[in-house]
Amino acid sequence: MRRFALVLIVALPLAVLRAEPAGAQERAYFNTYDHYLEEPGNLEIAVASTNGLPKNGNAAYSAPWLELEYGLTGWWTAELYLEAITTRGDGNGFTGWRWENRFRPLRSEHRVNPVLYIEYEHTNEASRIQKEIVGSGAIEYEPIADLRAVHTHELEAKLILSSVVGLWNISENVIFEKNLSEAEGVEFGYSVGVSRPIGTLASGTSCHFCGENFVVGVEAYGGLGSTEDFGTAEQRHYLAPIVGWHVTARMTIKASAGIGLTHASDHALLRVGVSYELPGVRR
Amino acid sequence: MNRWCVFAMAALFQAAWIGALPAQSGHQDPSWVAPDRAASMPNPLAGRSELADGGRKVFEQRCTQCHGDDAQGTSRAPNLLSRRVQAQTDGALFWKISSGDTRAGMPTFSYLPAPERWQLVLHLRSLANVR
Repeated sequence: MRRFALVLIVALPLAVLRAEPAGAQERAYFNTYDHYLEEPGNLEIAVASTNGLPKNGNAAYSAPWLELEYGLTGWWTAELYLEAITTRGDGNGFTGWRWENRFRPLRSEHRVNPVLYIEYEHTNEASRIQKEIVGSGAIEYEPIADLRAVHTHELEAKLILSSVVGLWNISENVIFEKNLSEAEGVEFGYSVGVSRPIGTLASGTSCHFCGENFVVGVEAYGGLGSTEDFGTAEQRHYLAPIVGWHVTARMTIKASAGIGLTHASDHALLRVGVSYELPGVRR
Repeated sequence: MNRWCVFAMAALFQAAWIGALPAQSGHQDPSWVAPDRAASMPNPLAGRSELADGGRKVFEQRCTQCHGDDAQGTSRAPNLLSRRVQAQTDGALFWKISSGDTRAGMPTFSYLPAPERWQLVLHLRSLANVR
């Protein structure tokens, strides 16, 4: 077993760092979507985690998720999410799944590129990945077992607008979410991000630490109340610098440090993720 | 309804679509034409042939999956060394790389910095010259 682990530790990074052809652009954002869809026939596998540092002495938590993103056509990408939670002392467990679809209605690039997003979520109240934040109110810090017993079905829609200005990507998402399990009205949220690559010219040789392989930026996201409660007092908002590293053409590692801006927000949301793209799953 | 039934129905629905939809086509779409203003743009890196190597690397990373290692096309995307492609201006090729064509499955590469996209154009021209 130890030998197997040693082989994995040595061989995996070598296999990953080998120069590889084929690859799409994995966005550096965690919450914000831009207008780039998965390439048709490609499957991207990603694992990521939201690590929360709450206020008021509540237990820190880590909410990992698995993401499978598939390019159905040039204008349609589908994703499946499986998510979980682990806390320091409050318990852990599976928190649900999400099925999302993104559609790009325009054929080619424009000043502002719209993408329509629709997602069905079957999660429970213990879900803390916070891929989007909507409505108002702080996270409930009760034992995970109790929260997992409360299931929710939600339908979510986003209008994604994304532009390229020089080297910068500027993306804005407006979020609408309807809880189908409870009468909460329609909840609103937002996410905006700007990012840019560090390098501008591709070097002629293979390199892992060149500026061209790094993307930096910042995103802001939060809830904007609901049709039944539009007050700003208990809203959560975060500001998060982000960095993405395209380790190879297929593999991206990204991280962000979200700082809570309001009373209802956690102190910080630290996120890290790694994705790997399998080209041409379907020819 | 049981949550797993909902999940299974959604999965079946999308599996059906995956089977039914063509991923990409190797045919060129005659209606996909660069606007005049874009087509008339000169390559700012023209004459800097040393930068074509960077274009080759980007081509190997982003384009060979569909256009083939030698750029001569596959069932998924057309031959980039064909007369029809090479007759287009640098600006038109740059526009097509940047803009993509969602109908034909050509991705949008505007996330690459503009100089890298011009390097790709340099590389495509160098391939045609070698040929």
